[in-house]
Amino acid sequence: MIDQLLGFVTYYWPEMITIVLMMTLLVAEATVKDEHAPRTKIHVYTQFMLGLVLVNLFLNLGEKPLHIFHNAVTIDPFSTLIKIIMTAGTMGAIFLSHSSRDIYTNLKSEFSVMAVGVLIGGMLLASANNMLTLYLGIETLSILSYVLSSFKRDEATSTEAGMKYALYGGLSAGVALFGMSHLYGVFGSIQFVEMIDKIPGLAGLNLAIVIVSFLMFFVGIGYKISAFPFHMWTPDVYQGSPIPVTAFFAIVPKMAGVAALVRVSFVFFQEGSALTVTWTGLILVIAAMTMTVGNVTAIGQSSVKRLLAFSSIGHVGMMILGVVVMNEAGVQAILFYGIAYLFMTLIAFYITSCLSDMYGTDSYDVFRGLVYKHPLMAIIMAGVLFSLAGMPPFSGFVAKFNIFSVIIEKKHYGIALVAAINSVIALYYYVKLAKTMIFSEADGEERVLSFTTANQIVIVALFIPVLFLGIFWDSAMALAGNAQLFIK
Amino acid sequence: MNGILNWILWLPVIGMVAVILTPKAKENAIRMVTLATTTVTLALSVILYLKFDTTTADMQFVVKFPWIEQFHINYFLGIDGITMLMTFLNALLFFICTLSSWTVEKNVKAYFALLLMLQSTVFGVFFALDFFLFYVYWEVMLLPMFFLIGIWGGENREYAAIKFFLYTFFGSIFMLVGIIALYYATGKGVDSFNIIALQGGKFTELTVDLFGQTLSFETLFFWFMFLGFAIKVPVFPFHTWLPHAHVQAPTAVSVILAGVLLKMGTYGFLRIAFPIFPQAAVESSTIIAVLGLISVIYGAFCAMAQDDVKKLVAYSSVSHMGFVMLGLAAMTTQGMNGAVLQMFNHGTSTAMMFLLIGILYERSHHRWIVKPDGSKGYGGLSTKLPKYTTVFIIGMFASLGLPGLSGFISEALIFLGIYQRFTTITVIAVVGLLIGAAYLLWMFKRMFFGEVNPETEEYEDMNAREVFYMIPLCVCVIVFGIFPSPLLNVMKASVGQLVDLLSKF
Repeated sequence: MIDQLLGFVTYYWPEMITIVLMMTLLVAEATVKDEHAPRTKIHVYTQFMLGLVLVNLFLNLGEKPLHIFHNAVTIDPFSTLIKIIMTAGTMGAIFLSHSSRDIYTNLKSEFSVMAVGVLIGGMLLASANNMLTLYLGIETLSILSYVLSSFKRDEATSTEAGMKYALYGGLSAGVALFGMSHLYGVFGSIQFVEMIDKIPGLAGLNLAIVIVSFLMFFVGIGYKISAFPFHMWTPDVYQGSPIPVTAFFAIVPKMAGVAALVRVSFVFFQEGSALTVTWTGLILVIAAMTMTVGNVTAIGQSSVKRLLAFSSIGHVGMMILGVVVMNEAGVQAILFYGIAYLFMTLIAFYITSCLSDMYGTDSYDVFRGLVYKHPLMAIIMAGVLFSLAGMPPFSGFVAKFNIFSVIIEKKHYGIALVAAINSVIALYYYVKLAKTMIFSEADGEERVLSFTTANQIVIVALFIPVLFLGIFWDSAMALAGNAQLFIK
Repeated sequence: MNGILNWILWLPVIGMVAVILTPKAKENAIRMVTLATTTVTLALSVILYLKFDTTTADMQFVVKFPWIEQFHINYFLGIDGITMLMTFLNALLFFICTLSSWTVEKNVKAYFALLLMLQSTVFGVFFALDFFLFYVYWEVMLLPMFFLIGIWGGENREYAAIKFFLYTFFGSIFMLVGIIALYYATGKGVDSFNIIALQGGKFTELTVDLFGQTLSFETLFFWFMFLGFAIKVPVFPFHTWLPHAHVQAPTAVSVILAGVLLKMGTYGFLRIAFPIFPQAAVESSTIIAVLGLISVIYGAFCAMAQDDVKKLVAYSSVSHMGFVMLGLAAMTTQGMNGAVLQMFNHGTSTAMMFLLIGILYERSHHRWIVKPDGSKGYGGLSTKLPKYTTVFIIGMFASLGLPGLSGFISEALIFLGIYQRFTTITVIAVVGLLIGAAYLLWMFKRMFFGEVNPETEEYEDMNAREVFYMIPLCVCVIVFGIFPSPLLNVMKASVGQLVDLLSKF
C-alpha cells in the first residue's frame, strides 16, 4: 500500500516541488529583517524552483497516462501541458511582480506565496479525476485568488475587487458543490471512472437531476473562466487588482478552468451519450455569448487593463468553442490556443505594467506616441495586439485558425460566422490602441524609464514565440496534438 | 530558373532588413538601398517576362515546399499569364514610387522599410498557389498599408487607416471560413489547400446547413469569397473605404493602392472565386454585372461632384474597376481579356494621375479644384507648367479611354465581351464612359485653362527626377495603347483556360 503510494509520487514531482516551494517561501519571508529589502534572492530561488517544476513537467509529457492515488488524480499529457502553461504563466507573473511598483516591496514574497498556491490549486484542477479533487482544486485556486486581488490593501478599488471576487466566488463554488452532491446522489460515487459506466443507464427523473446538477456544476467552472453570464466580476476584479495579479488571473485560473471544463466534458459527454447534445449545445451558446459580450464591451473601455480583461473574456469564448466538437482536434486547438494566449497576454500586461509604473495610470493616454519614445516596445506591443486580434503572421492567427478549423469540420457554420464577426469587433479595439501608440504624436520626449534592460530582454524573449508560432507552428501543433486526455 | 519567384518575393524583405540596419540619420543611404532593391526586382520581373512561356496555361516557375504537414499546407508559388502582368506592374510601380517618395521627410527609415514590406506581401498574394499562404499574404499586406496611411497620411489619416483595415479584414474573415470549409470539403487530402487542384467546379453537389436552411455549398462560399474580394476591388456598395484611404494616403501609397492593391480583388475573382466555384459564378454573373454597372455609373457621378482632385481620381478608380467587373461578368474571351488588360492599364494610367496630383500637391499643399470658400484652387496651369501639362494630358486621356492610348483597348474589349451577354447593361455602361470623359475634361478645364491663378505663379515645372519616373508610365500607356499584343499574348492561354471552364457551366 505504502509502496504503491510512494511509487505514484514519482509522477507527482511537479506538484511536490511546488508545495515545497510554497512552504519554504513562507519561511523565507519570515527571515527577511528589513521590510523594504528587495528580496532578490528569494525571487531567484522562486524562479529556479518553478523552472525545476517546468523541467519535471516536460519529462512527464512523454510518460504513459495513468490514474494515481486511487483514481483521484490523472496524470496525462493533457493535464501536463496545461500545467506547463500555468507554471510558465506563474513564472511570468512573479517576474513582473518583482519589478512592478503595483506590488509593494514588502509584499513581493507574499505575492509569490499566493501565486504558487494558486498554481497548486490549478494543477489539482487540471488533473482532477474525481469530484472531490475537482472541488478541492477550485477552492484552493479561489481562496488564494481572493487574497491576491485585494493585494493593494490601502486602495479602495483593490479591496472592492477582493470583496467582489470572494462573494461571487463563494456563491458559485457553493452552487457547484450543491450540484456535485446531487451527482453523488444519482451515481453513488464521486470517481469519474465509476460514474462514466453509469451514464448510459440513466433515465427518467435521474436524467433530469443529472442535467440540472451539471448546470449547477457549470456555474462553478463558468465563473472561474469568466464565461457569460458569470463574467460580471471580471472587469472590476481585473481593474482593482495590481497589474501582475491581473496578468496572473488572465492566465492561470483561466487555463485551469478551461482544463476542468474539457475534462468534465470528455468524461461525461462522450459522443453518442444522451446528454451530449444538451451539453455541447449549452457550451456553444455560452461560447458565442461570452465572446460577443467580451468583445463588444471591450470597445468602450478607457483603461487598458479593463480592455485586456474584456478581451480575455472574448478569448475564453473562442477557446471553449474547441470543447463543442468533442474530439481530439478540439483539444489540440484549445491547447495551441492556450500556448499562444500565454505569450500574448504576458507581453500585453508587461508593457502595460511598465507604462503604468511610469505614469501611475493605465489609460490609453499613457500609450500615446509610444513609438516615438520607445520604438521597439511599441512595435512589439503592436505585434501582440495584432496577434490577439488574430492577424497573420502571428501566433494568435494560427490559434484562431485552429478553432475555426475544428468547428467548421463539424459543420457548425453558424457559430463560425459569429466567431468571424467577433474577430472583426476585436480587431477594432486592438487597432484603436495600436493607433494611439503609433499614429498619435507623443506629448513629451521623455524616455520610459521603467523599460529596464531586464524587462526589455524578457519582453523580446516572450515575443519570439508569438512570431515563431505564427509561422512555424508545426512542432507546437504536434505537441498539442499528442497531449490528449486519458479518461479510462 | 525555378528559384526566381523566391528571389522576387524575398528580395524586398532583404532590402527591408538592410534599410532597418542602416543608421537612421543616413537618409540618402536608406533611399538608395530601397531604390537598388526595387530596381533589381524590376529587372528580375523583366527577366521573368522574357523567360515566360506564353503557349501554356499551366503554372510556371513553380516552387513548392511542405510548410505545415499536418494540414498539408505548402509554401507553393507559381505564376501564369495573369499574374505575370501583375508581377511586372507591381515591380514597376514600386520602382516608380521609390523615386516619387524621395521627398518624404518624416521617419524616412520606417517609411521605406514598410514600403518594401508592402511590395513583398503584394508579390506574395499574386504568387501564392496555396490557399493558406495566399490568405496569410492577403492579411499581412494590411499591416504595412495600415501604418503607411496612418503615419504618413493627411489630416484625417487615423480614421482612413482604421476604416481601410476593418473593411478589408471584415471581408477576408469570411474568406477564411470559406478556405477552411473547402479544406474539409475535399477531405483534408494533400491538395486541400492547393488553389489549382481546387479549381474546376468540384463542389457543385455539396450542400450546407446554415441556421436551419439548406444551401448549396458552392453558392454560399462563392458569396463568402465574393465579399472578401469585392471589398478589395471595391465594388459598389463596398467602396466607401476607398475615397478616404486614397485622400489621406501619401502619394506613393495611393499609387500602390490604386495601381496594384485593387487588382488583388479582381485577381481573386480570376484565380479563386470563378474557377473554384464556376457554377455559382455563372449563376451570379448577372448580379456581378449589375454591381459592376452601378460602380461604373455611380463612381463616375461621384467623381464629377468632387472638388478635391484626389478624391475625384479615387472615385474614377471605382468607376474603372467597375469596368473590370463587367468584363469578368461577361465570361467571354474578349470580356475576360479586356478585364485583365484593364487591370494592367488602369494600374498604369491611375498611377500617373495620382503621381501627378502628388507632384502638384508638393507645390501647392492643397488639392482643391474649387476651394471650400468657392475660389479657384488652380487655374491656367498650362501656361506656367508645360511639361506637367503634357504628361497630365497623356495620363488623363489614357484614363478616359481615348483611342490610341491604353485605356481604350481594354474598355473596347470589355464592351465587345459584355455585349454578347448583357446588351442593356452594355448600353448603360457606355454612358459611364461619357461621364468619365466629362468629369476628367471638366476638371482639366478648371485646373489648366482659363486665367492664371495668382497663387500658382510661383510653381516650378516638373524637375528631372519627376520627369524620369513619369517616362516609363507614359511609354506604357502609349505603346500598349497602339500595340497591346505583348500583354494580350502573355495572358491569352490563361484567360482562355478560365473561359473554357466557365463555358461548361
